[in-house]
Amino acid sequence: MVLQQLVNALTLGAIYSLIALGYTLVYGILAMINFAHSEVLMLGAFAALGLATILPAAFGTGALGLGGMFVVSMLGAGLVNVIVERFAYRPLRHISRLAPLISAIGVSIVLQNAVFLWLSTQSLSFPQPVEIKQIPLGGGASVSSLQLVILGAALALMALLHFWVEKTKMGKAMRACADDITTAGLMGINADVVIAVTFFVGGALGGAAGVLYGMNYGSIKYNLGFLPGAKAFTAAVLGGIGNIRGAVLGGFILGGLEVLASGYIPNGAQWRDVIAFTVLILVLLVRPSGLLGEKLAEKV
Amino acid sequence: MSGLLRSRGTAWILIAAALALPFAAHAAEFPYLVRVGGIVGLFMLLGLGLNFTLGYVGLFDLGFIAFYAIGAYTTSIAMKAHVPAPAAILLAIAVTVFARLLLGISILRLRGDYLAVVTMGFGEIARLTINNMDWLTNGPKGMQVRPWRPLAFLAKDPNVQFYLLIVAAVLAGVAATRRLEDSRVGRAWVAIREDEVAARLSGIPVREYKLLAFTLSAVFAGLAGSLFALWEQFVTPESFVFWESVLVVSIVVLGGMGSISGVLLGALILAGVPPLMQATLSAEWINYRYLFFGLILVLVTLFRPQGLLPSSRREAELTS
Amino acid sequence: MTRAKALLEVKDLAQHFGGLKAVDQVNLTISEGEIVSVIGPNGAGKTTFFNVLTGVYPGSRGEIVFDGQPIRGLPSHEIVARGVARTFQNIRLFPDMTALENVMVGRHTRTVQFLLGPLLRTRAFLEEEAAIEARAKELLEIVGLKALGNDLARNLPYGAQRKLEIARALASDPKLLILDEPTAGMNPTESQDLVALVRKVRVLGVTVLLIEHQMRVVMDISDRVFVFDYGVKIAEGTPREVVSNPRVIEAYLGKEAA
Repeated sequence: MVLQQLVNALTLGAIYSLIALGYTLVYGILAMINFAHSEVLMLGAFAALGLATILPAAFGTGALGLGGMFVVSMLGAGLVNVIVERFAYRPLRHISRLAPLISAIGVSIVLQNAVFLWLSTQSLSFPQPVEIKQIPLGGGASVSSLQLVILGAALALMALLHFWVEKTKMGKAMRACADDITTAGLMGINADVVIAVTFFVGGALGGAAGVLYGMNYGSIKYNLGFLPGAKAFTAAVLGGIGNIRGAVLGGFILGGLEVLASGYIPNGAQWRDVIAFTVLILVLLVRPSGLLGEKLAEKV
Repeated sequence: MSGLLRSRGTAWILIAAALALPFAAHAAEFPYLVRVGGIVGLFMLLGLGLNFTLGYVGLFDLGFIAFYAIGAYTTSIAMKAHVPAPAAILLAIAVTVFARLLLGISILRLRGDYLAVVTMGFGEIARLTINNMDWLTNGPKGMQVRPWRPLAFLAKDPNVQFYLLIVAAVLAGVAATRRLEDSRVGRAWVAIREDEVAARLSGIPVREYKLLAFTLSAVFAGLAGSLFALWEQFVTPESFVFWESVLVVSIVVLGGMGSISGVLLGALILAGVPPLMQATLSAEWINYRYLFFGLILVLVTLFRPQGLLPSSRREAELTS
Repeated sequence: MTRAKALLEVKDLAQHFGGLKAVDQVNLTISEGEIVSVIGPNGAGKTTFFNVLTGVYPGSRGEIVFDGQPIRGLPSHEIVARGVARTFQNIRLFPDMTALENVMVGRHTRTVQFLLGPLLRTRAFLEEEAAIEARAKELLEIVGLKALGNDLARNLPYGAQRKLEIARALASDPKLLILDEPTAGMNPTESQDLVALVRKVRVLGVTVLLIEHQMRVVMDISDRVFVFDYGVKIAEGTPREVVSNPRVIEAYLGKEAA
């Protein structure tokens, strides 16, 4: 039983971690919560669905299908994020902390409702390119091939991100900007470009998460982003917002907490969403810098 | 233009217009107008309330509707327990204020963007809890509210009765807000918004005053929730979703943060236009209303951050 | 000879930030009616010291006794209520409030009306509002800004902004006025103006403590001078004494010059 819970928690946690990374990358560089991230991940899922629907022969099933869906969703979501940043956030960056936030909420609403009004108000079934096999683990627990794919894809993407951020020139530029954007600019780094790249990468990760979400639950809807987005944000804060490792850590912890709650608290499934939000509030009250984050002070 | 809108004479004209509305609706055989008027009035109250938190002190609150819900449900439960309606209203306000106070004490030291997320989280927690505690609230099936027809001697139509009550509440709210604005407390709030450190070093107990603004918001939310429950005679968690909180934020942002006349205009537009369009054009319009709010938030923030009817101070703050 | 009463006593005060000792082992006394300057090279801990005095930082060790009461660690607004007011190195006015409103805000600790007064427009409330406005106008006149009362603080010329900050600080009827580099960015005429204002403030019964970099001003205005370097008070005395103190010279100019 516990083993099964663990498998489920890891799967859920992997998805949350990917989404959380999107929030944390943007926050790290701009100290801004990208409220529209939840819709970006939703759009990624819809993009993948679109591909499988339009070209079902090539991309409906199999490895090609899987790969194609990832490519389309990541590119699409990344692009949307970049466009949103360019037109809805950038002009407001220097006005106040509040303005980009309000704009982000507006964008989130617009995107969600655009899909609702012009794509579909209903749940749409999501293609399943992976043949589902149950692999027994002993003790009555089993892991499905789908769960393995989810976990594998998420870990692969996280590893790629790690490599990118630590070893490439652009990654270094991203780290510099996250540390001190003004000085990075003075060192010759084009902050606007780095910010755009960050939004692209964050969005792409969200898009991938959207595909994984769709595969995991079998269907997607215009509002799929809201809850996972809010929970993943909680995970990012839990780990220390702005901190990449923290986002991953937070994602898995939150996944674990949710699965535990569902399993062991009576009527737990009903309350699992409340738990995520409660964790959020508690973390922000007790340890606002999160598990791996740092504190900052103001000069008088 | 804004000078004209702010003059004393204009205020009396608008009050007269508000009072005349039921007659006009009757004459035009368009009784739905009175209902719309009531809804607009409730959102004016909510906007005035949120204005204390968002407009005066600049705290970004994304869960305000939770307090509307607490006011509404407290009233419903009290009425069910046969508490007389006026007492139920006062009780609802008290409970709402108390809940707000507790939340404020916990979260006010957080930074702006964190505050936004925490308030959103609390809003969801409140709604989900109301939804899950069906032994008390009847959960997703909703609660019936015992009827109360206080102004039956004035008008037969309950919509008109409650419309008048709501108008009275809005007038009281506007007067109270105006008076607080022009006082030591109001100046302290503005000082906090403009430079918190300087405010503190000028002797203002910043934390307490933020908590005060935050808590006063709840008076409006509790009153509005109460009136809503008594009018509709039915409450369900679906009326208090996150998007309604966003709507109230949109009202304050569109109208102009910290501006009373702005908030009233914002409510008139955002809460009044969609149901009117739904009634006169087609039912589908109502589905577009959220898209409409989202666009408004983005466009107003980008192109007219001071809002439609900014307070003169805010205009200066944002256009320099 | 009567001894002036000790208004501020600082004993063994320290403010550490982790391993950094921004202020350490500071002992000093200021008597009522004095004008005292604090000087020292940049980074010497002068503003940090002022921040501890006014409750911005809690201090790591030591005592601050003001007017006979311990105040270290009290919240800033409480310290203001007890009679300590300050201005800032980088002017911190309320930019979109008028000059008059800025000063009126300063009056906060000396007034009491809260919610009922304004909501019910009681006579007590109306009288207090009138008194606040009158006193604010008075203070604007004292600092020489009478004509600029209705101008937004952000639109005032630099020198006027500095004076406005002082007027706002005076609005709390302080016993001790702390000025952080009041003549920063001022030309000689403006500095003279400010010196005259500080003297006027003393005549009004307020003790003044200031951080100052312009030596001419320091020599002109101070009864006594404290010198800080690396977070520690290295010298104290009359301006003349301090200026010829070899340790002071060394701090500013290096060992060779001393």
